[in-house]
This record gives sequence, structure tokens and C-alpha cells, in this order.
Amino acid sequence: MIAIWRRMSGVALGLLIVDLAGALLLTVVTPSFTSTYNLFITGRDFSILLLVALAQMIVLAVGQMNLSIGAIGGLVAIVESGLMVSYDTPVVIALALGLVLGTACGAVNGLLIHWTKVNSFILTLGTSYVFAGVNLGITHATPFYHVPGVVASFGQARIGAFPHVAIVTIVLTVALAVFLRQTVLGRQLLAVGGNQVAAALSGLPVRRVIVTAHGISGFFGAVAGTLLMAQLGEGQPTIGVTWILPSFAGPIIGGAALSGGSAPLLGTVFAMVLVSLISDGLILVNANPYWVQFLVGALILGGVLLGRVRAVGVRDVFRLKSTPPPVTDRPAEEPVPRRPAEQK
Amino acid sequence: MTGKREAVSILAVLFVLTSCGGSQGGGGGTTAATVAIVPGGPHPYFEPMRSAIADAATDFKLTKGSFEVPTDWKQDLQNQLLTSLASKGYNGFGIFPTDGDAANGIVSQLVSRGDPVVAVGGCVHEPTKTSFCLATDVGASAYTAAKTVIQAMGGKGVLLHGTGLLTDPNTQLRDQAVKKAVGEAGSSVTLITLADIDKDAQTADTAINQALAAHKDINGIVTTAYNPTVAAAKALRTLGDKRIKMVGIDDDPITLAAVKDGFLVGSMGQNPYGQAYIGAYALDQMHRGCKKKSGAPYFIDSGTLLISADKTTTYQNDFKTLTKQIAGDFKAKYLSC
Repeated sequence: MIAIWRRMSGVALGLLIVDLAGALLLTVVTPSFTSTYNLFITGRDFSILLLVALAQMIVLAVGQMNLSIGAIGGLVAIVESGLMVSYDTPVVIALALGLVLGTACGAVNGLLIHWTKVNSFILTLGTSYVFAGVNLGITHATPFYHVPGVVASFGQARIGAFPHVAIVTIVLTVALAVFLRQTVLGRQLLAVGGNQVAAALSGLPVRRVIVTAHGISGFFGAVAGTLLMAQLGEGQPTIGVTWILPSFAGPIIGGAALSGGSAPLLGTVFAMVLVSLISDGLILVNANPYWVQFLVGALILGGVLLGRVRAVGVRDVFRLKSTPPPVTDRPAEEPVPRRPAEQK
Repeated sequence: MTGKREAVSILAVLFVLTSCGGSQGGGGGTTAATVAIVPGGPHPYFEPMRSAIADAATDFKLTKGSFEVPTDWKQDLQNQLLTSLASKGYNGFGIFPTDGDAANGIVSQLVSRGDPVVAVGGCVHEPTKTSFCLATDVGASAYTAAKTVIQAMGGKGVLLHGTGLLTDPNTQLRDQAVKKAVGEAGSSVTLITLADIDKDAQTADTAINQALAAHKDINGIVTTAYNPTVAAAKALRTLGDKRIKMVGIDDDPITLAAVKDGFLVGSMGQNPYGQAYIGAYALDQMHRGCKKKSGAPYFIDSGTLLISADKTTTYQNDFKTLTKQIAGDFKAKYLSC
């Protein structure tokens, strides 16, 4: 525990304090916040959205984006429920096929980005339409009802306020932390995100790293889709359509850089706690429905600012002090070194 | 001399062709219409429209009838789809506007080509060049639902209203109708509104459950959108709570099962089949040259009824009978041919 505390970044620590303060405020303002049922519902929602945020975080870590996480989650949920409901496929096989499909969708994103050199934003925007289109083509916007009871009951199951779906999220979050910190591929992932050219020059397998990051992203999106299908008890074609905001809110508030090279796992976890507190709090205090979207946006922006203030201080966030000129050791007349490909 | 005659003949043929050729979109004429029904986005509510347009194509001998769904709830996507369909030769359009105001742009474009447009399921906001709006009287439906729930609550308590997209042209009408019913109950009923929770099943499920957790005194629920209805029906079944009285909307199997098992007082059935079927008929008649009768209303109620436990197996027949009745009277009541 002490080791985790010491490793915690400024942003994560700031978010933890904001989370605790928010939870305390909600407890005081509305005692039903701490009711078992409310904590269960909020925890269940959080468990799924955290996986969505981690799916984005891992791709941001290599300096790219994945706009197709929701579409992958939706497609996987539809395929799994369709297999179980329409083809009587055994649950384990249907879920395994769905997770393989999700991972493959992610890996295809990575391969296409690497081969075509098209910006990940544009490419995954395109594939998101492809995946969502397949979903729509299969379902015609009509859900697959009556998924097997074992799946639906897992999605609803709880011990007190603790939702069973959270077990999956905890296991995967810990596994991702171990992967990023303890494995060679995990460290290569951060190195490629930090500077792709330098990583390539150092002999790192850039393509494998990018495909792996997108594959993991697809897998996490697929698990989130599967858990949501279990929670709803049906294969809903709309699964994943609202994931774009939480997918970016978590890692960005948590301290991830859009340029890559960082994977703030704890920051993302605490950021998603904040997002869940905000959405729960607005319902608890019966906020005006026509202002909810504004309030969510404003509170998320507030969370981002607080995190930045905690990390770099008020003066730097608002540029209150003059920025010194960039320090360079290189004389002005020194020629810019050429990249190897340009050298004759 | 021969050359002059040929030139005059060609000019004469060209004159006749241009005089009789009609407009770009080929609007008007004696041929049957090629009709497309285009919802605002993917949603199970519209699914009966698929069979409705197929039935209409057979019954009214349309050149072609098609049901086309935009990939997302965005007006520009619906605009692109409609433009694409028009370029493929469709010449009558039944649309559910994604955005009640913004849809007027594409409607004007289509009508200026000579292609009639009717709104199905939800109205394009007036002033508009849309000829008719065939939809549920959502205000009356929401009002009936809220009054039914308040009565079941014993006229007092806390009523939760779960409703749809803020950009849906019907949401404000439903919100106002529920507020009116609550207002008539006096101060004995408190209203809690959850709006914009019909985006997807997850949003609705979380919001409804969080509201039930937060407000333990809720003893009535009225939902006026599809996803909140299904979410609330499932929540009440999961909680095993028949103390809370609820009236939902539409006929999703989960909702109907909950009505049958006594978790819901009922659900307000709408008539999407009839909206598309009658809409296709109106479009075909207008394509053949009929005009909207002077003084004919823009809004035509396609019917609504409370599906209670005893009507879960018979309500579809009631709607089909109503649809045939409205279609049978349509030409005489609303068109001048």
C-alpha cells in the first residue's frame, strides 16, 4: 500500500483527494449515496466504463487513438448474444469467440494504421463505422433477447454493494499494470509512445508494439461489451454508442499525454471514479435535466484543471509566470542531424 | 430544305420532351411512387415500419418501397441518406426527423425537386414543406400514462419520469404533458424528471437504477421513451417491487412480459406500422397528382392505446384495424385529387 502511495503521480493523488472530497460531499448532501443499492449500481457502471477508459489509455500510450472502442464492444456483444440466442452456441464458446473477435478488430486497427500510415483518429473513425455497420446489419436495430440465465445473472449478481462484474475489471486492471511495468513488451509500448523514431532506431519492434496496443484495446472493449450485455440481459445494438466521452475522459483527466509515452493507470482509475461520482451525484441531487450535459462537461473540465494544478501548480497551469526561452546546448549554426533514411 | 425540316423536327421533339418531362425529381404523374421510409437513426421502435412499407408496396402497387436506416442519430447522416436515395430515383419520402427544426433543410430540397415528404413517427417542426405528420399524439399519450400512474399511486407520492433525447421533437411535448398531469394532482405528487436517457440501454439502465436508489420514496414511474421503459421494467422485476406503479411506452417483449406479470400497470402502445403504411399511401397519392386539401391538418393522430395485462395479445389487431380505417378515409378527408 505504501509502495502504491509512493508511486502515485501528482495527478493521481490530486484526483484521489477530489474523489474522497466528492464522496464525502455526496454523503452529506444525500445520505442515499451510501445505500447498498446505489453503491452497487454506481460500482457496476464504473466497472464497465473503467475497462473502456483503459482500452483508450493503452492506445494513447503509443501516441494513437481508438475511436472504435464502443463499436467493437457493441459488435462483440451482438455476436456473442446472437450466437447464444439464435444458434444455441454454448456460453463459453460464444464468449470466447466474441473476445477473439474484439481482439482481432483491435489488431486490424493497429495493422491498418501501421501499413497505411493514416492517422489513427481517421482510421479508427472509419473502422468504427464498419463495426457499427455490421452490428446494424446483423440486428436491424433489434436486440437479441433472452441471453442464457447464467450470463444475465452474473451481470446482476452482487455481494452486498460489490458487483460481481467488478471482479473481471479488477483482474484485468491488475494484469494490465503488471504487463506495463513488468514485461518487456509493456515497457517497449511506452518507449514507442515516447518517441517512435528513436524506438525504431533502437531496434524495437514498432509494428508489433502498435498492433499489441490496439489488440489489447480491442480486447478491453470486447470485455466491456460482454459485461454490459450480461448486465442488460440482452444483446442491445446500442451497446457502446456513448463510450467516446468516458474513453477519453478517464485517461486524459488521469494524466495521459495525447502525444504518447505515458500510461497513468492509477490516474485513469481515479478519474473514472470522479466521472461516476459526477453522473451519480447529478441524479442524487435531482439536477435540472436540461443542464445535465453542461454540468457533466463543466465538472469534467474542473477535474482536469484540478489535476493539472495539483501536478504543476496554479502559476504554470494559467501561465502566470513568463516562460523562459528553451534551453539548448546546440549552437545555432550546427546542422540539424539527418535521420538515417535521409543519409546517403 | 431537308436539313431545315430535320432541324425543325428535332426542335419540336425537344420542345415536347422539355414541356412534358416534368421536374428533376420526376414528381407528379400517373406512375406509382417509389417510396423510402427513413427513420432518424437505429431504434427498435421503427422496426414494424419495415413490414409496413413492404405491405404498402403490395397493397398500393408502389413501384418500390424501401426502409432505410441512417447509421447514427445525426441529422447530417439522415440528410446524406435522403440525398442518396433521391439520386437513386426515390420520389416519395417518409421521414422521422432526427432534429425537428434542422430537418426542414432537406425537406425543402426534396419538395423543390417535386418529391412529396411526410413525417412519420415524429413531426418536422412548422413552418415546413412536409405535407403531413403521421404520429402518435405524444402529448395525449404521455398525459394518459401519467394520469393512469397517478391514479394507481392513490393520487399521492413521488413520480419518476424517464424520457428521451432532448433533440427529439416529441420530448418537450411529453415533458409538458406529464407536468400538466402532475400539476392537476396538486402538491400531493412530486415529480422527478430524468431526461436525455434514451441514448442507449446502458445510460437508461444506470440512470433509472440510480434514481430508484437515491429516492426510496418513489412510488410511481412513467416512462415516455423506449430505453427508459425497458430499463425500468427490468429494474422493477429485479427488485421484485410491485409497490411502485408504472406505465411505460411501446411494446418491447421485456415491457410486455412485465405488464403481463404485473410489474407494470400498462404500456402506451404506439402505431409505427400504421404511420409508415398510411404515410406510404399518402406519398403515392400525392405522387400521382393529388394535393393536400385546403384546410387539411398537418398533424394526423396515428393512434395510441394503453396495453394493459388483458390486451398484451390483442392490441396489434386493434392497431391494424385502426390503420385500415385511417388509410381508407385518408383520400376523402385530407386530399384533393
